[in-house]
Amino acid sequence: MRPLCTPADHRVSRRRWLGAAGAGLAGLCTPAVAQELRRRRKQVLFIWLDGGMSQLESWDPKPNTPFGGPLRAIPTSVPGVHISETLPQSARVMHRLAVVRSVSTQDNSHSAGVDRIQRGDPKNRGVVYPYFGSAVAKLAGAGDSGLPPYVWVKPMNGGFIYKDAGFLGPRYGALALGDGRPPENLLRPPGLDAAADDERNALRRLADQRYAAGRRPEHTEANSYAFEMAAQLQRRVELFDLSRLPARDQQRYGTHDLGRHLLLARRLLEAGVTFVKVTSYGWDSHGDHFNQALSQHPKFDQPFAAVIEDLHDRGMLDDVLVIAMAEFGRTPRINGHVGRDHWPEAWSVCMAGRGIKRGVVAGATNATGTDVATQPHDIGALFHTWWRALGIDPETTQFRNAGQPLPIAHEEMTPVTDVLA
Amino acid sequence: MPMPDPTKPVELGRPLVPPCQLTRLRFRPDGRVLAAAGCDGKVRRWDTSADAPTELPALDGHNGWVSGLVFSTSALVTTDSWGRLTARDADGRQLWTVETAHAGWARAVAVTADGNLLATGGRDGFVRFWDARTGTKTGEANATADVLSVGFAPDGKAVLAGDLFGVVREFEAPGGRAGRTFEARELHRLDRVQDVGGVRCLLVTPDGRTLVVGGAEPKTGGFVECTPLMIAFDRPSGKRLWQWKGGAPAEGYVTDLAWHPGGYVVACTSGQPGQGKVFFLKPGDAQPFFQVPKPNVHSVAVTADGTKLAAALTNANSAGNGRVRGQGGDYPQNHSPVQLWRLPS
Repeated sequence: MRPLCTPADHRVSRRRWLGAAGAGLAGLCTPAVAQELRRRRKQVLFIWLDGGMSQLESWDPKPNTPFGGPLRAIPTSVPGVHISETLPQSARVMHRLAVVRSVSTQDNSHSAGVDRIQRGDPKNRGVVYPYFGSAVAKLAGAGDSGLPPYVWVKPMNGGFIYKDAGFLGPRYGALALGDGRPPENLLRPPGLDAAADDERNALRRLADQRYAAGRRPEHTEANSYAFEMAAQLQRRVELFDLSRLPARDQQRYGTHDLGRHLLLARRLLEAGVTFVKVTSYGWDSHGDHFNQALSQHPKFDQPFAAVIEDLHDRGMLDDVLVIAMAEFGRTPRINGHVGRDHWPEAWSVCMAGRGIKRGVVAGATNATGTDVATQPHDIGALFHTWWRALGIDPETTQFRNAGQPLPIAHEEMTPVTDVLA
Repeated sequence: MPMPDPTKPVELGRPLVPPCQLTRLRFRPDGRVLAAAGCDGKVRRWDTSADAPTELPALDGHNGWVSGLVFSTSALVTTDSWGRLTARDADGRQLWTVETAHAGWARAVAVTADGNLLATGGRDGFVRFWDARTGTKTGEANATADVLSVGFAPDGKAVLAGDLFGVVREFEAPGGRAGRTFEARELHRLDRVQDVGGVRCLLVTPDGRTLVVGGAEPKTGGFVECTPLMIAFDRPSGKRLWQWKGGAPAEGYVTDLAWHPGGYVVACTSGQPGQGKVFFLKPGDAQPFFQVPKPNVHSVAVTADGTKLAAALTNANSAGNGRVRGQGGDYPQNHSPVQLWRLPS
């Protein structure tokens, strides 16, 4: 393998590949396929690299250019497509991935950016839109697994995160599993028999009713709902015992947080959870950025490639839409303490699975990576893309907020058709 | 000859202004040439015979960042972040090159005092030895982790390699047999899924008895808050001798070290936002006897006779300026001004 490449290599060979891929995949875009997509299960694995992963050290490298940094680009399993040397496992499964290199969004702050991105940055109508996870929970439903539709695997603490749901109401919030642990204190204690447990729960329900009196029903119902959902998940406690899995699984995903959490995510998807979000914190590399990338990117790369392979091997990649992204990319310019700052102007998102073409790169940045050189795509365009990939038509599907119809994606944007199957 | 008075360094005019950021500076042993390793894949040189340096032609031939740089008695040897090792003569002509000295980033290079043997350390976790005249590999040692810094003992019989996890391993040169290990693990922290820190630089004192390592005590990853830290070990026994620690978590890493013939350490730091300094520390002292703040200093170099000092800084306002565009929409790189000092006698 020739490890060295230039931006010119990418342009020429990627075009060649897209031409070939387009010819081969054109037949998929038929009404029958669209109908099949609508019929199949709709699940999402949403990997959130909080703080902002550098596009230049991941999906859109610019080696040997002024802002390219020290690292190399490597070939992938898709002829002509190169990604950063920090992602060798993703390079190996590139033929199952789609990368949009023309993402250009509006917010460069974490506090506002996370919300704007995960809510799809719709037009301001004076309402708080739901996060994508809550929106999928509402529109795709919980399925027949009996499990919560929106589960968030994250480091540190868990809980029920109702704010994600926005105007949909708290019951569409996220059930967060702190460090991938099951909800605590829900199992019947060993010394308590079933009858006593029933009595105890009857008392709890009575207390709930008294608490609910005089309060807004959507909050109190959500409280009961969250309890039931958590209890349901707790009854599937075996899902959380990763030690029962083959040692090879744990090795393939890694024993670090992100590896364990993505392995749990696979288990939750297998069990039927509709939307699983996995968050990794600490990607805001304003200082010593390249050593950060060398340390941290492989810990994304390894379990990401593993989960893509596993979903494929289980036939689930046709049902599960996989998205890996953050609130923005990182600046081309390298600051004085060798960091990259926030850069919403031109960055990349990787996706795979349900409704997504495989082995394609859409859009491009200019030679130095400072700006999008093709049609830019804001987060609204990505929401359109994801809804279509899930078989939910954003043109004809609306939310209802107290009778008010609201679009599920920014109505002035359109999907990134180059990545839609 | 009386030694220069180190407490009164005099800045030699305005800084030199290369167009890119720099990773390393080193003087040729005679002090007449200063070379700089660039983040544009070039090596820049200045004739420093006079107080006002003149720029010499830049040297191409590297990829990514030039990251290691050392003068042997007869050659300028450099490494880059794509793994290449190259030697050039005094006129900049390539003597030899090794395309893949390391699988990935060749972080650092060192040379023995007699100029015959080179050692490189790489992200692949290896220390490799090279014949300085031919570029032939003469041995290697597995250091097991990303090697950030290397330095020879003065007698050339051993090399010391500092890694990402705060460990320095001593290896016989060029055979590679493992010797003593020096633990400075407070230079590393696992923050969430990021390994932060490491032994960023090291030196062995001319008597061969003291190993000084530089880095920082990390508090967080991501933004990287860390307090500069320098630790000295007694090489024969492996015991700690002294340490110096900076004052605040924003002061950043000790990024480079040099030994001044007057018997003290010259060091520099780079933190955020824009913090940095050049300072002189006598072994065992609690505080530097000279320090001057400069923005994000990434390397220092001292001439063999101790009369000149150079430091690679970063341009003003380079802290967190990643998004700033010029009025015309231009988007220039940051760069590393090089400040020279004379140490007067």
